[in-house]
Amino acid sequence: MRITRRTLALTAFAGAALGGLSLASLPAAAQDSITIGVQVPTTGPEATYGNDMFNAVKIAAQEINEKGGLLGRQIELTAGDSACDPQQAVNAASKLASQDVVGVVGGYCSGATLPTLKIYGDANIPFVITASNSTKLIPANPGNAFMINSTGADQTTKAVEFMESKGIESVAIVNQGDAYSQDLANLTRDAWEQAGKKVAAFETVNKGEQDYSALVTKIKAADPDAVFWTAYYADGGLLIRQLRQGGYRGTIAVGDGSNSPKLFEIAGRAAEGVYAFSNPTAEFLPKAKSFSETYKKQFGNAPGPYAPLTYDGMMLLAWAIEKAGTTDHGPIIEALASADGQEWLSGPISFTDENTLARSNFIVLEGKGGEWALAE
Amino acid sequence: MADDAASRRRRDPAPSRPNTGVAQLLAVFDDPRKFWLAIAVVLVAVAVAPLLFGQYATVILTNALLYVVLCLGLNIVVGYAGLLDLGYAAFFAVGAYAVAILGQQTALGFWAAIPFALVAAAAAGVIIGGPTLRLRSDYLAIVTLGFGEIVRFSARNLEITGAASGISGIEQPSLFGWHIDSPTEFYYVFALLSVFAVIASVRLANSRLGRAWLYVRHDEDAAEAMGIDRVRVKLAAYVIGSIYGAIGGIFFAVNLGAISPESFSFEQSVLILMAVILGGMGKIPGVILGAFIIVLGPELLRDLGELRLLVFAVGLLLIMLFRPSGIWPSRKS
Repeated sequence: MRITRRTLALTAFAGAALGGLSLASLPAAAQDSITIGVQVPTTGPEATYGNDMFNAVKIAAQEINEKGGLLGRQIELTAGDSACDPQQAVNAASKLASQDVVGVVGGYCSGATLPTLKIYGDANIPFVITASNSTKLIPANPGNAFMINSTGADQTTKAVEFMESKGIESVAIVNQGDAYSQDLANLTRDAWEQAGKKVAAFETVNKGEQDYSALVTKIKAADPDAVFWTAYYADGGLLIRQLRQGGYRGTIAVGDGSNSPKLFEIAGRAAEGVYAFSNPTAEFLPKAKSFSETYKKQFGNAPGPYAPLTYDGMMLLAWAIEKAGTTDHGPIIEALASADGQEWLSGPISFTDENTLARSNFIVLEGKGGEWALAE
Repeated sequence: MADDAASRRRRDPAPSRPNTGVAQLLAVFDDPRKFWLAIAVVLVAVAVAPLLFGQYATVILTNALLYVVLCLGLNIVVGYAGLLDLGYAAFFAVGAYAVAILGQQTALGFWAAIPFALVAAAAAGVIIGGPTLRLRSDYLAIVTLGFGEIVRFSARNLEITGAASGISGIEQPSLFGWHIDSPTEFYYVFALLSVFAVIASVRLANSRLGRAWLYVRHDEDAAEAMGIDRVRVKLAAYVIGSIYGAIGGIFFAVNLGAISPESFSFEQSVLILMAVILGGMGKIPGVILGAFIIVLGPELLRDLGELRLLVFAVGLLLIMLFRPSGIWPSRKS
């Protein structure tokens, strides 16, 4: 027993010492490859989306490498796990910045992406944000970051337009209290009230809650024509199921954090007829057909909602590196800013003065037979 | 303290702990002759670390030093006074939010805002300390847990705290014309804070108040019978602990430049408590070691991708299995 303990303790110590050494000798970017950082949550509650985005980047990098790489060099990917937590994201971003990445693709969970902007800004690293879309990111952007996902404001416009077209007069808006869902909820409330319609209830629920009966009772009492859930699918699925079980019969709409196929696993039949606002997902994009097939073949499941955008992000960055003709950060950022509305999987990409997408790309989906279908 | 250790050695020549490699190494700090040498080595290592390693390592080490301050603060509440606190992140949040709000809403500079942040944290300490003084063990834990969540939910729902998006664009401070903004500069700020935190903790442990905490921890009723004002002593633990937390929060806020409620979650409180228990409750070097393990562990395992937290958790379990009272426990308990 004593020997085991001693051996174990010594092993642990040696392990820690070796770990310390590896901190010192961070792998320097190899001369003959171009390192691209991928900042996504690969652990934690949002890991499904994060890994999905990472897979999309892998496919893009693979395709580029098969065609001979960038500037004659192969692309090498390095992951930075943000875990959807600001502190973790800062650690990940510092690690990527210290690894001399040529550029960074990714960014999911606006709250976690926000503090990383300064790190990439200080290092002047081009950062293509492919999912985070809170409007709070815009003033914090030092100019090196480019948001290729439509922002909350674009989604609000689409949501209000759609609900008006359905003849909806009053709506209950429910968010989860995180940066993304509250931003979307506030914007929708303001736009909805501006359109002269009624906000019957405005609620914030806690992440990870299991029982929504109090909220369901409240919503039923307010009796709105529609309920708009602005947060993510895991809790959204539960809320939808409990709303329907509680006898709510109005329209249910969900924001783009909830348009995952997993919503049907959680909500079951209650998700039938639910509307979802969505960034253009692979299955509804004619151009993304071969991408979807490659994805299914490699990873065994269909690409998630941010996969095409993230694939586009990697391709756009590659395009900018080719255009700049160098791996220096400055020229690549200039090249990104000059994106000329070329068609990508998700549609044309060009940027406003604030480095946000010039043209919204939201679509409306409807739950039909356990999967999403285009509603319009 | 030196006399104390020396006399104990004379009476008890055989070391009571298992004679493992770690214990031998840790024993260096317990030996008064080697103590100052060991301190000097640690200080030099802390001072040159950012020069040797890259910026990433500096950021991670800064984070570890932040945890050192937080863990030493919680150690006063949990380790010294024996009050289980599951909502320690609340004090961390109060410090961070106070300095961020004062920086944005008033013309006070960063340094002038610090006293207000500390007063706010001390008030929070009294608020949580007041009603919980009569509670013990699990009841106390539940109330502190509730308090932590109340603070986080308030931050998430109040307009002044920026609701869920938090507060961004927090100005980095200047001191006598020196603008603190690079990771290396923040590293030294946190190193300095840690040194102060350690000195304060040592002085507190050896003070009259420190002894009172020890008695209260061992037997509340007996302590009261001996004339110790239980209420005052426990409140002091909460208030001092909250000030440590607030100091950590204040510099955390200016270092990140943006704060949001996700940083002050229940997981954060648990993580800090875990570091204290892992290292060895009540023992300052143990707590520091715990803080470093909790921060560096997941970072060193980053290359394992999605498995890293699993591997880290197994590592923590192994540590608790083989050293149930912490890696470097206090002898007094």
